[in-house]
Amino acid sequence: MLTVLVSGLAIGALYAATGLAYNIMFSTSKVLSVTTGHICMLGGVFGAYFMLDFGLPAPVALVGAVLVGAGFGLLTEVIAIRRVLARSDEHLWLLSTLALATMVQQAVGLWWGTEPRPFPRLFDQDFTAGVLDQKYWLPIAAVVAMALGLEFFYRRTMYGKVFQAVSEDAFAARAHGIATDRTRALSFAIAGALGGLAGFAAGQLTFAFFALGLTLTLYGFIALAVGGLGSNVGALVGGIALGLFQTVATYLFGGEYQQTIAVGLLMVVLLVKPEGLFGSKKVRPV
Amino acid sequence: MTASPLPRVGALAIGVIAAATLPLWVGDFYQLHLAALIGVYWVLIAGLNLVVGYTGQLSIGHVGLLSIGSYTFAIVVGRYGVDPLLTLALAGALGGLCGFLLGLPSLRLPGFYFAMATMAFALIMAELSLAQGELTGGGAGLPVPAFNAPFDTPPGFYWLVLLVAGLITWMTWNVARLMWGRGLIALRDSEVAAAAVGVPVFRLKLTVFTFSGVTAGIGGALFASLQSYITPDTFIFELGLFFFVCIIIGGRGSILGPFVGTVVLTALPEMVAPLAKLGNFFYGLLLLAVVLVVPEGIGHLIKTVIARFQKKQPDSQGVQPDIGRLVTAIQRGHAS
Repeated sequence: MLTVLVSGLAIGALYAATGLAYNIMFSTSKVLSVTTGHICMLGGVFGAYFMLDFGLPAPVALVGAVLVGAGFGLLTEVIAIRRVLARSDEHLWLLSTLALATMVQQAVGLWWGTEPRPFPRLFDQDFTAGVLDQKYWLPIAAVVAMALGLEFFYRRTMYGKVFQAVSEDAFAARAHGIATDRTRALSFAIAGALGGLAGFAAGQLTFAFFALGLTLTLYGFIALAVGGLGSNVGALVGGIALGLFQTVATYLFGGEYQQTIAVGLLMVVLLVKPEGLFGSKKVRPV
Repeated sequence: MTASPLPRVGALAIGVIAAATLPLWVGDFYQLHLAALIGVYWVLIAGLNLVVGYTGQLSIGHVGLLSIGSYTFAIVVGRYGVDPLLTLALAGALGGLCGFLLGLPSLRLPGFYFAMATMAFALIMAELSLAQGELTGGGAGLPVPAFNAPFDTPPGFYWLVLLVAGLITWMTWNVARLMWGRGLIALRDSEVAAAAVGVPVFRLKLTVFTFSGVTAGIGGALFASLQSYITPDTFIFELGLFFFVCIIIGGRGSILGPFVGTVVLTALPEMVAPLAKLGNFFYGLLLLAVVLVVPEGIGHLIKTVIARFQKKQPDSQGVQPDIGRLVTAIQRGHAS
């Protein structure tokens, strides 16, 4: 039972990390990018690629995976978001990011293969460590580091304050001389870097698998919607809750209905409290 | 639209005759199979087009409804020996019911939430069809029987598909043309404005979504019979994306556009081998290109080009300023 809880925490940490990445991008652009899960997938796949095929040491591979994630985040902004937002049609970003996500997933599938491949171990550790195994605490440590780092960034640094200004009111921030476009691009790069980090840290748990992106996009979104859109605490709580809920349900009822359970949770929360646990109610603009 | 209806009626008649006589002049059974596949896809896409193209609800999970229709047909006909045509209606009804049940909670959600809910639905359907092994055959899948006597040959099946597709096209065309369609477009462009002028927003969305569920169920039954063997792998999520791309490429708010999109996108990868290998990458690329370059769809682009050719550039109505009067007016202004 303890193993179940710990693995639930670990997988929940990955969902929470995906939710955080959603939040970073959403705060500056009001866009929920479908590519969010694919960023994490790229982190895992490229981490494994750098270590297995190039034989690079783990820290170098980590830097590589983070750079790939950041690059892809930036690419998402440049290709799929910028033009669409400039035209200000409300739905089209969903289509453009969906298209980009599909292309990335297929490209990785063609190049890397469609079978999940094992992710190398990062530290020398016996497999008998049980719940203290690195595959469990690595994602948890990563998401804690991400959340603390983000908090520090938003509260203590000048750039973080610029981010918050843009997320509060982009027009007002623009009027005060903030380059909102550049802030948005930077937020996508940061989300990409953190997503790459999360994917790398959770690699041993999820394996390096090309189709992981779509699942993570969905689960990260559920974590965020349950916790409340725009709230980092909400993303953490929602992600952990979803991970625990899923693994416990799998333990009790078997693993055939994972997605059904997750979506059931989403539907219940949305019907009872549509703004999420930690979200703020918004007045609908007319 | 001031163009006279005669060329359109003529074109429509030629199209119908060509489609109806297709089995008589087409080369081989493979091409006939392809034509039937286009028809089957179109049955689903015609319904989905009302949801996506007219109402603006981005449902990316219709492949789930398709799989419901397919499994219904395979199980009810294959295991219980019910009449296939009756089962076709049953699959449609069940698809409609599932569409209704799916739409009831998720249509209340705004844009991205709705898209995610439908995507989750498609993934759940794939999961259930794997988990319910006794019913669906699990990963091994199910053989699907063919239709009865007049429709059991490839041309016969093709005519059945053509009949169903024609009927559904006629229905969607009526919906799009009459007051309903106006309501849907109003809804797509601004929900609040539509509600303000008395469009029953939620009921209209739900009705249209249920109708698309019916067409998806019927399409699923036909699809299963055409494929003759189905597994959960048949209904991958990317198939839902494919339906979606057909509509977006054809253009939102038109019926002919998505139809052309369906024909081209189904046939093209079969004709051009490298595209078949790239498969979904190609569809993603196409979707991205259309969204970025011509968001109204290629149908709209063609319409614009035709309009430009039919009508010469309007005579320039530029106003030549009367310099003398202008100068005196300015001077008078300065003087006062």
